[in-house]
Amino acid sequence: MAATQQRNLFGGGRQLIYPWLLLLPGLGFYLLIGVGPSLATAIYSFTDATGIRNIPISWVGFDNYDEFLFQGARSRDNLDALQRTLIFMVLVTVIQFGIGLVMALLVNQKLRGRLVFRTLFFVPFILGVAVQGLMWKLFLRPGGGPMDDLFGLLGMESQFLAGTNAFYWVIVVQIWANAGFTMVIFLAGMQTIPTDLFEAAAVDGASGWQLFKNVTWPQLTPAVNTNFLLNIIGSLQAWMLFLVLTGYKKGVQVLGYVVYAEAFGQTGTATFRQGYAAAASIVLFILVLVLGMAANAFVTRRERKYL
Amino acid sequence: MTTVNPVEAGSTVGVDLSAPPPPSASSRERRTRIFSYALLLILAVIYLAPVLVLIFASLKSLPEFFQDPTGLPEGLETANFTEAWSLANFPNYLLNSLIYTVVATSAFVIMSVFLAFPIARGYVKGAGAILTLYVVALFLPPALIPQFQLILNLGLVNTRPGYILLFLINPIGLIILVNYIKSIPRELDESAAMDGCGYIRFVWSVLMPLIRPAIATVTVIHAIGIWNELILATVYLTSDDLYPITRGLIVFEGVYGSDWPKLAAAVLMLMAPMLVLYLFLQRYIISGLTSGAVKG
Repeated sequence: MAATQQRNLFGGGRQLIYPWLLLLPGLGFYLLIGVGPSLATAIYSFTDATGIRNIPISWVGFDNYDEFLFQGARSRDNLDALQRTLIFMVLVTVIQFGIGLVMALLVNQKLRGRLVFRTLFFVPFILGVAVQGLMWKLFLRPGGGPMDDLFGLLGMESQFLAGTNAFYWVIVVQIWANAGFTMVIFLAGMQTIPTDLFEAAAVDGASGWQLFKNVTWPQLTPAVNTNFLLNIIGSLQAWMLFLVLTGYKKGVQVLGYVVYAEAFGQTGTATFRQGYAAAASIVLFILVLVLGMAANAFVTRRERKYL
Repeated sequence: MTTVNPVEAGSTVGVDLSAPPPPSASSRERRTRIFSYALLLILAVIYLAPVLVLIFASLKSLPEFFQDPTGLPEGLETANFTEAWSLANFPNYLLNSLIYTVVATSAFVIMSVFLAFPIARGYVKGAGAILTLYVVALFLPPALIPQFQLILNLGLVNTRPGYILLFLINPIGLIILVNYIKSIPRELDESAAMDGCGYIRFVWSVLMPLIRPAIATVTVIHAIGIWNELILATVYLTSDDLYPITRGLIVFEGVYGSDWPKLAAAVLMLMAPMLVLYLFLQRYIISGLTSGAVKG
């Protein structure tokens, strides 16, 4: 990745300054709006910053962390949200990985209409949460929506997004919206597998399942690992669909939503507790870091085994 | 998982593979094929159903919707679209979305080319270090809160420039450009310089046309991100006049939440440009998103 420094070919004088001069706007904005604020989250987490301009900010040490994790009923809600984030991660990762793989295997065959299916499965991903969410709100409308009708036929009943299982319905929508992306990564991996591997195995009389197990799966290792990591990290940080589908509700929200709601007065109190929210954000970041690194270690071991 | 059917990839080389299986295909292959189609159809129903219900709803009058929210519409009630369009301040939301998307994407792409080129070539000191800064960005905590403090203290909350400022960065986009530029031979720089071509003119009129595929990819994924953005619009914009269409749609939901035919029409109008864009630029969208993912 590292580029070695090269002599500028474009002459002396001003031509020597131009590369730097013209690179500065891009880099400057990146430092100012991207990396800088990102790192500053850690600093804000030790302050009582609010969302009001010109109010002095003071240092409060670990108070935010203490309050977030250990003080009163609020902290128990936070720990619930943390637990829910982990459940969300496990369910989304496992199911989305599975469905994405099945979809990729299906549309990678030379079947009629495979491009149409491919497009159909992928398109939800690019629609954005506002469209995804509202579409499913209509589909899951209690009292006469399509899913409600279907449940009625099966003799079941649910309030869907307004009920106690709202959390799991959000998971359904999350997977519906993103499985196509998992599929596309698997497909990209499948297209790099040399066909002569299949030919050789087929000549040896391998069955479909044996081909998958002994050729496709090991050859797919990079895509498998990418999807595994992306699904874990992505699902830990995903919360936007909750905003559209359920709003901020006790018993439903995940950690990412807690950060946003506390920081921007969406918890019902309208106070912007940005220091506190920054601490929550760092807790989530540590979770992502630890689980991401664990997943990465696992994936690296797999790579050594297969490649 | 027996759906994988690569046998045919080997055994029918040279045959038009999209044609139905020849009569000689083994019964196992035929079974796999039927099973695959069945599974694809089930998935297709799950993927299409919410969209179809949305389209049906948008074509019903309100009384008709309450009578039968799910089924096919009796007639084609296009009034929902025209009413949603005028009721929801849609032209204004749409214009805002366009301004944010076009201005931020063009500014970002131009700045990024001038950043990616010297990094890819190593024409500046510390090029490797700068690139690393972009690679690690994918693992850093979200910038949300300090970013808000910054925009707040600059007095740019609830302004167009403040909102656009947030979209002038995209680490994955930059990495895509750097990688693509590395594939352009350096000899080109040399001969252009030899002919007396200056740095700016080289980047602008020689390099830019050569890296058009990468620019297209980055433009498209960056623009989609801005077009779809809801959270930042909720955080930074408080007046209706400045809302992009995503935020406008949520406002519309708040006001006309039970009038699903109109709401469905509004959702479809937000979806339509994305779908058209997707059908034309599929290749760039997919390559941008997957290469970004693999780098991440």
